[in-house]
Amino acid sequence: MLQVDGLSVRYGAVEALQGVSFQARDGEVTAVLGANGAGKTTLLRALSGLVRCRAGSATLDGTGLIGRQPEAIVRMGVAHVPEGRGVIPELTVEENLRLGALVRLRRSERRDAIDGIYDVFAPLRARRRRPASSLSGGERQMLAIGRAIVAKPTLLLLDEPSLGLAPTVVAHTMELLRTLSGRDGLSIVLVEQNVRSALSVASWALVLNLGRIVVADRPERVNEDADLRRHFLGF
Amino acid sequence: MGLFLNTVLNGVSEGMVFAAIALGLVLVNRATGIVNFSQGAMGMMTTFVAYSLLSGGIGYWPAFVVALAAGFFLGAAVELIFIRPLQGKSPLNPVIVTIGLLVVLEGIAGSIWGVTSRGFPPAFSQRGLRIGSTRVAFSTFDLFIVAAVIVLMAVMIAVFRWTDVGLRMRGAAFSPEVARLLGVRVGRMFTLGWALAATAGALAGLLAAPISSFGPYYMDLNLVYGFTAAVLGGLLSPVGALVGGLVTGLCISLVGGYLGGNLEPLGALALLLAVLMARPQGLFGSAKARRI
Repeated sequence: MLQVDGLSVRYGAVEALQGVSFQARDGEVTAVLGANGAGKTTLLRALSGLVRCRAGSATLDGTGLIGRQPEAIVRMGVAHVPEGRGVIPELTVEENLRLGALVRLRRSERRDAIDGIYDVFAPLRARRRRPASSLSGGERQMLAIGRAIVAKPTLLLLDEPSLGLAPTVVAHTMELLRTLSGRDGLSIVLVEQNVRSALSVASWALVLNLGRIVVADRPERVNEDADLRRHFLGF
Repeated sequence: MGLFLNTVLNGVSEGMVFAAIALGLVLVNRATGIVNFSQGAMGMMTTFVAYSLLSGGIGYWPAFVVALAAGFFLGAAVELIFIRPLQGKSPLNPVIVTIGLLVVLEGIAGSIWGVTSRGFPPAFSQRGLRIGSTRVAFSTFDLFIVAAVIVLMAVMIAVFRWTDVGLRMRGAAFSPEVARLLGVRVGRMFTLGWALAATAGALAGLLAAPISSFGPYYMDLNLVYGFTAAVLGGLLSPVGALVGGLVTGLCISLVGGYLGGNLEPLGALALLLAVLMARPQGLFGSAKARRI
């Protein structure tokens, strides 16, 4: 379980996050919603160690994350799929997956883990020797998520996985996230602009506005609240 | 015919030395995206280390190995001390630092060992090999140069393609932030890239010293030709560096053999211009990959 307390991040004079506190339970998808600039991406970057926090704490199953280097946080079982998916286009599909498996898995476990990803995402198996730059948007999404889960993390941070994808692919992705969290007990923090899709899989929803959590509630309640939607989510 | 053959053979062995320098430039450019103008001077320093050991009565091969190891540590130190603090700023800054380093290293070498040129022993005989009844301008040492540089290139390719550390290095070079998110210690990979590049530079220095007038400045012209070779090859590809080295070596040797030695640098310049106009990304580069 991820426990975040009073997390604050400042970029120069801008307070990007101000005292953000929440929990993300194992086996659940926690949706983080909000307009552009609300601090959603900053929250994920703070959790994975890419930006320095001014105050607050975050623990994963009791172990502190804040203040550690990204390389160390990955080793603790946090996988972060950044905005734009972070597939390395110059490397082949298989090399991308190998890179995901390198750090947390023993040499003998890597082959099976990568084959396991090909079982989930069959189109990747056929393109394993192709550079990732040759993949379609949907396939890149598969590769990004496959690379994130190949080393069996306990916390998955996803930054706008729906961006630029066809609606059927988005639906498919959300379904996959539901399966991953339900079946493997993975805790998923899902940052999304696509509010409806995110709420459809989430067990808990947070709405960020100007770096603060303004709403933390069950997804149905967020969906029903027309005022909230108009104010913070723009629909 | 004899002149032509000997000119070509001479071009091959010289070209391989340029290829070794180009391989070092490619390694640094792949790792940290900059051109290292001190690549030659670093090789000069480590060759002087070997020279001191040889003067002290140490055998050739122990001195050879120590020079390569010295290159490894010199490269790592330069990255950690001079290049790392400039990360995240304009890529021009570290490039200029490498130019400064070139001058400083040559100054240090001059003050320790003097600026006069001297001989440096080759690993093997420099007498031309006999083919039938004629002696050609290609010695056992030339053969060693060719073999050493081909092995260097093959090792580089094998490491990048088939080993975990090679995969980490490529990941770190192509997408540093993504690599960090996958747990790669990116800084260490950059240091390793510089260390390996300087090892290649140390090899280049040892190979070039017996066929140049060895002194603090003997790598300057070699660097210019090595740079030409690296750009011809696209600055990112090890095979490109090797082919670029060969083409540069042949071009210079033919210009020197038929038009006169003074025109050699001009020949390299003409070659560089011709390739940059026809294929700005180099013979082996992709258009997107070019950074300078």
